[in-house]
Amino acid sequence: MSELDQLVEGAIALDKWPLARLVRLFEDTRPGAVAEKAAAIAALEAHGAAPRAMVAGFTGTPGSGKSTLVGQLAARLAAREAAAAVAVLAIDPSSHRSGGSILGDRTRVHFPVGERRLFFRSQPSDRELGGMGRATYPVVRLLERLFDYVFVETVGIGQSEVEIERLADRVYLVLQPLGGDQVQFMKAGIMEVPHAFILNKCDVGAAARRSYHALRASIDFARPGEAAPPPIFRTSAISGEGLDDVLDDLAAHRSVRDAAGRQAR
Amino acid sequence: MTSPTDPGQAPPQRLPHRLYDADGNPTTDRPWIFRTYAGHSSAAASNALYRKNLAAGQTGLSVAFDLPTQTGYSSDHPLALPEVGKVGVPINTIDDMHQLFEGIPLAEMNTSMTINATAMWLLALYIGVARERGEDVRKLQGTTQNDIIKEYLARGTYIFPPEASLRLIAEMYEYCLDNLPKWNASNICSYHLQEAGATPAQELAFALANAIGVLDTIRERGAVPPERFPDVVGRISFFVNSGIRFIEEMCKMRAFVELWDEITRDRYGVQDPKQRLFRYGVQVNSLGLTEQQPENNAWRILIEALGVTLSRKARCRALQLPAWNEALSLPRPWDQQWSLRLQQILAYETDLLEYPDIFDGSVVIESKTEELKRQAREEIARIEAMGGIRAAVESGYLKSQLVRSMSERVSKINSGELVIVGVNRWTEGLPSPLLTGEDGGIFKVDEAETRRTLEALAAVKANRDPARVQAALAALEEAARTGKNMMEPSIECALARVTTGEWADTLRRVFGEYRPPTGVEGQRLYVDSDRVAEVRRRAEEFVRRTGHRPRIVVGKPGLDGHSNGAEVIAVAARHCGFDVVYSGIRLTPEEIVQSAIEEAADVIGLSILSGSHLDLTRQVIEGLRAAGAGDAIPVIVGGIIPKDDHEALRALGARQIFTPADFDLADVMSRIMDVVEAQAGAGAR
Ligand code: B12
Ligand SMILES: Nc1nc2c(ncn2[C@@H]2O[C@H](COP(=O)(O)OP(=O)(O)OP(=O)(O)O)[C@@H](O)[C@H]2O)c(=O)[nH]1
Ligand SMILES: [Mg+2]
Repeated sequence: MSELDQLVEGAIALDKWPLARLVRLFEDTRPGAVAEKAAAIAALEAHGAAPRAMVAGFTGTPGSGKSTLVGQLAARLAAREAAAAVAVLAIDPSSHRSGGSILGDRTRVHFPVGERRLFFRSQPSDRELGGMGRATYPVVRLLERLFDYVFVETVGIGQSEVEIERLADRVYLVLQPLGGDQVQFMKAGIMEVPHAFILNKCDVGAAARRSYHALRASIDFARPGEAAPPPIFRTSAISGEGLDDVLDDLAAHRSVRDAAGRQAR
Repeated sequence: MTSPTDPGQAPPQRLPHRLYDADGNPTTDRPWIFRTYAGHSSAAASNALYRKNLAAGQTGLSVAFDLPTQTGYSSDHPLALPEVGKVGVPINTIDDMHQLFEGIPLAEMNTSMTINATAMWLLALYIGVARERGEDVRKLQGTTQNDIIKEYLARGTYIFPPEASLRLIAEMYEYCLDNLPKWNASNICSYHLQEAGATPAQELAFALANAIGVLDTIRERGAVPPERFPDVVGRISFFVNSGIRFIEEMCKMRAFVELWDEITRDRYGVQDPKQRLFRYGVQVNSLGLTEQQPENNAWRILIEALGVTLSRKARCRALQLPAWNEALSLPRPWDQQWSLRLQQILAYETDLLEYPDIFDGSVVIESKTEELKRQAREEIARIEAMGGIRAAVESGYLKSQLVRSMSERVSKINSGELVIVGVNRWTEGLPSPLLTGEDGGIFKVDEAETRRTLEALAAVKANRDPARVQAALAALEEAARTGKNMMEPSIECALARVTTGEWADTLRRVFGEYRPPTGVEGQRLYVDSDRVAEVRRRAEEFVRRTGHRPRIVVGKPGLDGHSNGAEVIAVAARHCGFDVVYSGIRLTPEEIVQSAIEEAADVIGLSILSGSHLDLTRQVIEGLRAAGAGDAIPVIVGGIIPKDDHEALRALGARQIFTPADFDLADVMSRIMDVVEAQAGAGAR
């Protein structure tokens, strides 16, 4: 068996080391790697590993709790759906000076050691503008053949919303409660993309309630006359409050999507 | 001749350079308490050490606990096993505590315990021993360190989330107020902050904001009647650092004294000046003590001791000194004796204790002190605006400030701007005769003692009354859940012979566990030398050659909380063009292996300063092998790694070893790049 075949078989079995190495192949954005990636896709096809995952994008303000939340959601999902495998791909910013990065999202996520159905991978943004790296797209294309759900955490907020929309079946914008005198949530551009909003850290009390209403108003203002206004989920990644609602939302849209047949994205 | 009592006479003239007692008679000060931070191997071995130290003239005890005891694991827990007795004494049950203090009357001793997350438990054990011996519990005198904020920021032996941790502290104050009136329930520490890089202004601000946080918590809980609140304020004591810039440090102490007086008066309305006193103990700086030319450390320690003794107004209450071989290993008894002698010479041979404050009226000292006070006030205001100390911990603000200061410090050492004699200047020297003895100047823990500890634990478990144990734990859990004070239930646990692990696990179940922010994100070095550029160039070349950027997992396995080295390496690696995964301290070897595997790391860099490097490195390398990545991901190790162990570590498979002597970060990074390049050359992708 060729080395590539071995990697592919291991990855399909969700064996972490071959899987991690296969991801590395898909991170390789050099022109020379194209053929090898194509061979890997062909091998995956041959093993019946077709794209199947529901891809969810999580974007939002820095520090709003995206990583903590995504980690909790993934673990909870794996517990809820006994057969579901979930991959998390988390993008961290690279230094423009050195090209290096601190892949800090991982710090927030603690999957049980040895659990194959949960896989976490960090990725540097690689001096790209926006919230994703050059390798994000290819890696997601790989992971969606191996997992039932792929969660992508982007870097902060900015142009990433538009990019993530191309990549994900459903995009969540994660926000945290605002301090007292901040009224306006944010500029219209960003508010237009997400399918749903998550107001995280709702364990902090009064500020969370105020913020919910402010957010509702901001969305109505940014997206006037929408038939079904986007939902706002109130969560706490610490207490677990509201997480099941987000997962229900994900599941509901997964069935809709599956019923409609997968669209080419 | 006139005497002070002669009526009708003018009062006798007081000389400004003399000290007078309440009756106007000339007097001299009594010395501060001499302490030596000590404990290792087992309760029995540590007891022998304490008795020897007391006989040698030490006047108080300062107990060092091992890491399992500090983080709430019994010695027989898998996480504990590599660490039992390594850096302090293991205490599993009240019987260990009996053994530790055998032959030492508790009511006459002043005992300081460096214990934090499990402070309530250790105090319960101490009280339990006194009760079982029939000693008067009200006479117990001493301190439990019990400062959780600085654990999150610098020291690393936290267990529970901030809210629960602050509750434990508050309950100890509430309990001690009536039951142990001479006990300092906690000790606000700035010592560890300086060891983690804090500047004098940061030390002042973070520690004072911390004290405010504790007092506000106690006040808001309302369990202490308002009229007794000043008594609580009066019991707050501090544990401060004294660095090599000894004049600035002395001014820092004066600033502490003045700011605390101000805060206790204005914020808490304390009328009695005695209750507004800034009472503090000191350990002098160890971060600046070097592996190179270690004999120089003796001078550093002396100078640092001056910083906290020269100014009478800001003189410490208790002092403990590290030893000349601080960067090599735990001190041997002789090393501790040498440091104790320094204190005795300072207090008894010199004239230090004969004068009033010798800096009063100095324009220079006053101005410097005022500047520090101003900087500290600004920073305290910033922390308050963020919602206070707890919010500033949780948001990661304080930790990232410390990592930044540490990054600046190591950058200055690298560039030569900060001179460290023997390290970056005057590095050529004659070999030190201190290192040529049979033991190489190094202390080795007797591993056989671990067996004794485990046997003692097993014996207690076999002989105790299981029903009483269960009842005691149930009562503890019930108090934890309902908000009742947990002190009495903890004492009952102690008497029932509950173990350290059982006590902590019960509270873990109720409160959960916490991991604070690492503070490394967004940090950089302040070095842009040609050599840094060269490592970056090699990183780019690596990207071209392999299609990915070199990726390092910096791992802190085990219970070791020394994060400085790992943080500095993480920051330096990013600065030199690596992608870096660093998930903070206290991970299991399995967790580190899983990170490296999932991230397809090019190298794992372990940082271990707890003395357990052989066990932990072996576990990581075995884990990699089990996952099929044994030959693919090289492992390097840094920290306090005695020369004697280098060979064994290499035999286990460590590709490179780094010690404090490797302060030149461009060089360290270049050596890591060597390993990564060699590996990429050896294997495929
Ligand atoms: C600072 C310090 C602390 C601080 C730590 C602050 C922090 N957040 O890191 C504080 C005050 C909290 C502390 C506490 C304790 N400490 Co301490 N501490 C030190 C001290 C003075 C300096 C260590 C340091 O930070 N140096 C600066 C950093 C930048 O250097 P470094 O870690 O050595 O890292 C460099 C190299 O070693 C190397 N390196 C290190 N790791 C790695 C990893 C990789 C991948 C690479 C490439 C390189 C590398 O590169 C780095 C850059 O140059 C040392 C003694 C000394 N002078 O070395 C004792 C020392 C390490 N501590 C010691 C002890 C015993 C303790 C305690 C356990 C005491 C106790 N019983 O409670 C506690 C508990 C801590 C815990 N939770 O584990 C002992 C350890 C004894 C042993 N191993 O046998 C020492 C040696 C002191 C002594 N002689 O007794 N400590
Ligand atoms: N109180 C509270 N804190 C939370 C919650 N979720 C996350 N946090 C805290 O918020 C901080 C930031 O969390 P992260 O998960 O790193 O946030 P992030 O959005 O991924 O951050 P970046 O990737 O750096 O932009 C951490 O201190 C978390 O512990 C929550 O629901 N409630
Ligand atoms: Mg994140």
